[in-house]
Amino acid sequence: MTATIEAQTPPRTYPTQAHRPRRNRANVWLTLLLVLASVFTIVPFVAVLVLAVSPESAPTIPRQLPDDVTLDNLTAVLSASSFLRWTLNSVLCSVVSVVIILLTAAMAGYAFARKRFPGSTALMWSFLATLMVPIQATLIPMFVLVSRLDGVNTFWGLIVPTLANSQAVFLMRQFIRELPDELFDAAKIDGAGEWTVFWRLVLPLTKPVLATLGIFVFLWHWNDFLWPLVIAQTDEMRTLTVGLSTLNAESVARARIMASAAISVVPCLIIFGVLQRYLVNSVATTGLKG
Amino acid sequence: MTVQRAAVQRASWRQRARDPGWGLLFVLPMLVLFVIFRFVPSLGAVGMSLTDYRLSGDFSFVGADNYVRLFEDDLFFHSLRVTLLYAAICVPLALVVALGTATLLHHVVRGQSVFRGLLFLPYVTSFVMAGIIWTWIYESDGLINGLLEKLGVGPVPFLTGNQAMVLASLAVVSVWKSFGYSMLILVAGLKNIPEDIVEAAKLDGAGPCSRFWRITIPLLRPVIFFVLVIETIAAFQVFDTIYVMTGGGPARASYGLVYMLYDQGFKFFDFGYAATVGVVLFLVVFLISLVQRYVLDREKT
Repeated sequence: MTATIEAQTPPRTYPTQAHRPRRNRANVWLTLLLVLASVFTIVPFVAVLVLAVSPESAPTIPRQLPDDVTLDNLTAVLSASSFLRWTLNSVLCSVVSVVIILLTAAMAGYAFARKRFPGSTALMWSFLATLMVPIQATLIPMFVLVSRLDGVNTFWGLIVPTLANSQAVFLMRQFIRELPDELFDAAKIDGAGEWTVFWRLVLPLTKPVLATLGIFVFLWHWNDFLWPLVIAQTDEMRTLTVGLSTLNAESVARARIMASAAISVVPCLIIFGVLQRYLVNSVATTGLKG
Repeated sequence: MTVQRAAVQRASWRQRARDPGWGLLFVLPMLVLFVIFRFVPSLGAVGMSLTDYRLSGDFSFVGADNYVRLFEDDLFFHSLRVTLLYAAICVPLALVVALGTATLLHHVVRGQSVFRGLLFLPYVTSFVMAGIIWTWIYESDGLINGLLEKLGVGPVPFLTGNQAMVLASLAVVSVWKSFGYSMLILVAGLKNIPEDIVEAAKLDGAGPCSRFWRITIPLLRPVIFFVLVIETIAAFQVFDTIYVMTGGGPARASYGLVYMLYDQGFKFFDFGYAATVGVVLFLVVFLISLVQRYVLDREKT
């Protein structure tokens, strides 16, 4: 059997040449399939854009491309006071969350990685255990707690309950543990205090992981829906996602809704455009979960 | 040299042991957040499920009444079935799409990073935004039906048809929005497969198909299980797309567990009962991750 195969195999002169046509054809198919998959992910974005610049109640896709392109919808959305208010709320909630989570998670991660204190292991595990509890399972008691503290329809009610983030703590702990011991010993010998070590050593050295974590925390909070849905009770406290869902539920013109949706995704697209390589690579290395 | 270093290390250990206060101080802000907003509500969920807590804040202890009521409630079993059916559609679909695109990305010669970016793009949007776009795409005069009309095929009732159709349509939206993450995890897994094993199989005359099924899939098994776990947990938590696209309908065809929790809590303000649904949601997700864990451990040995 082996003999027959060997006999049939042509002499190995230039194997690359012999393989090239077949490999090229295979590559064309691979590329074609990837183009199809990309069409699946990109077409909805293109559709939103086309609808956002189509004149209201004029024929548009899927029947035909719009005859006219108009910025009326976009300007109308941007000049509507509630839309701007929702955007500001989303910016405020996301940015404040990013700052507080990065700082507190770096502090906790530093303590878990470099400090020994009674119960540190148990505490780390109890933080990680909360990953097992879906946020929806504790929605009702969280809401009752926040409403007893008069936090319903307030900014702190929107932001503070979402800040306990075990993934962030765990990621910071892993990263700080990998830093060389010598740096910390040297700082100690130079007489640096605990705060100096944290501000001058830990934070600068963890910049790359802080950046990655910051991007993810921003996306999570910008796109969060269920918590702001139950906490924001008046129009001026709504975040963008909640505002969009109310527009969608009211009978607002399609072009207007699509224009709002298009604008709401812009910050995320900018982040994505600027930091794409960074963001995409970090998923594999940090294992951050959406 | 080594002696010196050991001395320094010992000193720093002593230093660490001497100052337990600093460690606690650094953990304190996050600890406070966790105690108030994770630990207390987790215990509170169990506590509330044993009461008839109402919006007014009045409550009395009712023992296991809520659980008895839940297990006699057809709506609960209906929502559990909806969620299981949804997960049964969504999880395999997400896995196939993520694994397929990851394999394509791994083998394509040119434009890998461009395709990777294009495929990952929807991940940065919200489920609300995804829901709004896809509602239009699915509508009778929307994108898909508009194109079908040109082919002379009647409108497909994506969000108003039977239950399987509605749940599958919702699953497609979730997969569109979030498969990119699983795809990246799988791409990283594929990169870790040693090249020489694949080369050896090639020399032995294994075609692309048998290489995929006999080498790639078995070696990728731990990564695939990880993706299965996160996709399953995500499928059980589905809410945003249902809220935006169907409101649990038509005729409660997409009335999942989390939607029931929201409905009982914030439409009927029956907080005790809604908390009970939350406890059961936790138990179901916990049970499923235990089963997956068990299967994974058995596969390893």
